[in-house]
Parts: sequence; structure tokens; C-alpha cells
Amino acid sequence: MAYADLREFLQALRDNGQLLTIDEPVDAEPDLGAAACAAPKLGDAAPALMFTNVNGFDKAQIALNVHGSWANHALALGLPKDTPVREQVEEFAKRWRNFPVPVRHAENPPFLENTLTGEEVNLFDVLPLFRINEGDGGFYVDKAAVISRDPEDPEDFHKQNVGIYRMQVKGRNRLGLQPVPQHDVAIHLRKAEERGEDLPIAIALGNDPVITLVAGTPMAYNESEYELAGALREEPVTLAKGPLTGFDVPFGTEVLLEGVVLGRERELEGPFGEFTGHYSGGRRMPVIRIDRISYRTDPVFEHLYLGMPWTEIDYLLGPNTCVPLLEQLRKEFPEVQAVNAMYTHGLLAIISTKKRYGGFAKAVAMRAMTTPHGLGYCKVVIMVDEDVDPFNLPQVMWALSTKLNPAHDVVTIPGLSVLALDPGSDPAGMTPKLILDATTPVAPDVRGHYSQPVQAPADADAWVSKLTAMINGRES
Amino acid sequence: MICPRCRHPKTTVLATSPVPGVWEVLSCDRCLFSWRTTEPANRIDPDRYPARYRFTEHDIESAVDVPVVPA
Repeated sequence: MAYADLREFLQALRDNGQLLTIDEPVDAEPDLGAAACAAPKLGDAAPALMFTNVNGFDKAQIALNVHGSWANHALALGLPKDTPVREQVEEFAKRWRNFPVPVRHAENPPFLENTLTGEEVNLFDVLPLFRINEGDGGFYVDKAAVISRDPEDPEDFHKQNVGIYRMQVKGRNRLGLQPVPQHDVAIHLRKAEERGEDLPIAIALGNDPVITLVAGTPMAYNESEYELAGALREEPVTLAKGPLTGFDVPFGTEVLLEGVVLGRERELEGPFGEFTGHYSGGRRMPVIRIDRISYRTDPVFEHLYLGMPWTEIDYLLGPNTCVPLLEQLRKEFPEVQAVNAMYTHGLLAIISTKKRYGGFAKAVAMRAMTTPHGLGYCKVVIMVDEDVDPFNLPQVMWALSTKLNPAHDVVTIPGLSVLALDPGSDPAGMTPKLILDATTPVAPDVRGHYSQPVQAPADADAWVSKLTAMINGRES
Repeated sequence: MICPRCRHPKTTVLATSPVPGVWEVLSCDRCLFSWRTTEPANRIDPDRYPARYRFTEHDIESAVDVPVVPA
């Protein structure tokens, strides 16, 4: 089923026992960050958290860890909450094949219930902001859908970008923005700055969970995240027009900020504890001026904790990183079976493939590094055979420990690009990349003693079913 | 109150708590660090702020532009 907005999804989480409401008084710091860091440690069925009694705030409703478990991720896609991870990825890929699904437009969105403009604009009056990690340079907005358009083609719906970028709150109407150069908003900003213009921007906080998933999905420049959301929801997305920018924004969004990225302006930003598990360092980054705030009455503030994996962001960026890599590789290499790029947003990826001939797996690995996402990620690519499940790490470790010959199967490629947040890159944004080919050599790459693999006894799968039924019978 | 991170003497009040008198949010006019007055001491007391997160004048002056402003 598709959810109209964040509120509907929170109700679904509650109905499925996946939302924990904390109404005892807590401090914004360190309690909210600590709780949001703790929640994903509760396992595959960890709940979302809703805080309703934070000291000093009066009506704040703060939702954390909304995507932060495989159960919640499954529910976001309308799947049973116990759906295995690999099945969630496969279902994600299957629905992607229905992309694009055209959007719907509607008028009178609920975020028009309240408006602040001009001198009234004050982010602190609407958002219950707080720090999540002790070394962060301030309070951040880190889970919003940021919408911008190509300044050279502003009427093109498909070049309109929806992405998630960190934003540091610096004043009542002022945000810092991190546009990672590999991401589309950086292209929009560069074009605006080359023209000597500001870049209009809309920031939608608190959305249907699929909007957040697609905003974190690496898509081609002229592909619409909203049309992907329609495919994943199996129902078109409903959009409204931002009253200031005219941009397409989610109809049900809780809070909509509109303004401009100030052209050619940079200002100290950060550090911020990132998804790499390290702080970013302080850099001079672009600045957003907010000119209008629209919001639903008593808005829910959805926020995300990130740090050393696994945290909520690893669920949020898991399947939606695997699937585009899988689809892009399969276009040229149909032998590719599965991609697991869930580690640090795909800085490490594991790919299973059939082999055409000797050396084929290494070629697939190099192609992964030259996909749009791979240009900034895929620092380490592990190749495994088609009968190894890349989501089953004991199987991957088996392949590495038995198939890999260090003299032949370890390839280092110097001088490649990577996102500057990779703490190992030196200088920032540059790195060698590594292929670990743990596939079985095939002709003409004839080597090793691989002709006698141990096959499971013929009835082993039947015994799995039989033993499982016996265990379940014993429990009941 | 000076900035816990860079010890700059000038700070600005960014916000006050909706429930009056509980906290303020302050911001440093130089390094733009911001903090809530009710945060743990190691985040708001300049003498207890962790050395690994402190900013010096050199850190501020040598910060690079990301992304670079086009020529």
C-alpha cells in the first residue's frame, strides 16, 4: 500500500508495533541523539521513536529512526515487516522496472495551513532543532527532500532534482548546504553561479517514506525521483506547487522551506558526523536564505541520526544504492546476478556474476566503478560467483578465503575519484580503488584446483523445510 | 559567554525556548558554532570542550571552498 504522507506511515508503524512513543521528559541533548543512535542497535525489527516531551519545547513531535530497521524499510514499501533483506532489494528492483510512473498534481496542500514570510521567518519557531553528535558544528536538517531545478532549463520537470543534503542551521532564516560535487544540486548551483544568479530552492521536511527513499537514490540527471517514487509506491505521487518557487513538492509534506542558495557565497560550515563514521571537517560551503516557511498545524519533525554504521541512514541508503548499480550493470552485462552496495553507501560493493571467460569479473568490477554512483563510491569491489549470495557475508568470506589468489586477483587502480567525505581519500576526493576477484577462474584463465566443489546432498533443501517445520511444531 | 569551540568573545542569541526560561541557543559570530545552554558541559564550556573539535584562527582562515566558486 502507498502512504499519503508521513502521518499515515507513522500510524502504520504504530499499528505494526514499530513505533515507540516516549512521553517522559527528556533533554534535546544528549538524549535525542543518544536514543536515535541506540534504536538501530535493537536489531532487524528496531522501532521508530516519537518524542513528545522535550524540555523547553511546547508542542514538539520529533520522529526518529523512521526508516531505521529492515522491518520499517519493508513497511515503507508496503511489504510484510519480516520480509528478508534480499527479497526487499529484489522487490525494489522489480518495481523500478515500472519507472517512470507519471505524477498527479493537486491544489490546497495541507502545508498552506500556516505561513511565515519576510521578517516573520524563523526556523526555530517551527522546527525543534537539536544536535545529534557532540562534535557537530551546530543543529542540522539532515532528512529533508531538497528540490532544485536546472537554471538553464527551469521548465524541465525531469531535470528537477530531489535529493537529501545536510544543512546546518545558522540563523532564523539561514542554512549552510553541502552540495556533494557528484550530486545533481551541485550541477544546478554551478550553472546558476556561472550565470551570476542565486539558485531557487525548496526544502520539504517530513514526507511519505518512499519520497525519502528516492531522494537518497542515485539516479540519472534527467530522471525524475518523483516518477520513481510512483513506481516504488505502485501508485502515482501527488505533488503541489511551492507557493514561492513554483517547484513541485510533496503534497503531504509537513514543513516546506523556500528560498535561494546565495550565488557565489561560501561560509564556514561543519564539522558534521557523517555516514562514513567520521566527521567531515570544517569547510566553506554555500548558504541558503529562507524567504518563506509553510507548515501543517502541529508539524512532525522527522530527523535522522548518523555516525558509525549501522545507523538509520544505512537502511535508508541500502537497497536504493544496490538497485541502480544492479540495473546499470545488467544493461551491458546480463550475467550480473545481484549487487550488495549497502556498506557506507556503496564505498564497498559486492557483486555476484556468471563469467563469460577469464577476466570477465574484473571487467564488471571496473564498470561498477564507472557508473554514475561508482564515480564517487565503489572504492572496494568484491566479485563473487553466481552461486554466492552477496547479501550472505559468510558466503562472501568463504569465496574470498578460497577463490582469491593474491597474485592474480587483487587489482589496484590508482588516481580515481571518490567523494571527498571518504576519510581515507588523499587528497580529499582522490583514491586508488581495489578489485578483489573472488570468482572461480574460467578459461583461458586456467589455474587452481576448483574442479571438485563439494555439492550439498540432494535432499539438503528438503531437510531445511522438514527441520524448520519440526522446530515450529515443537514451539507451538 | 565566549565560544566554546574557538573562544571568540562575540556571540549572538539565535533562539530562546518556547517554554520561557529553559534554554537559549547561541551562535559564535566568527566560527558559526552554535549550542544550547542546557547541553552537557563538554559541549558548551570552553575549558572542557574536547581539544579534537576545537577551531583555531588558522583552521578558520585555511578552510577550503566546497564546491569551488566557478571562475
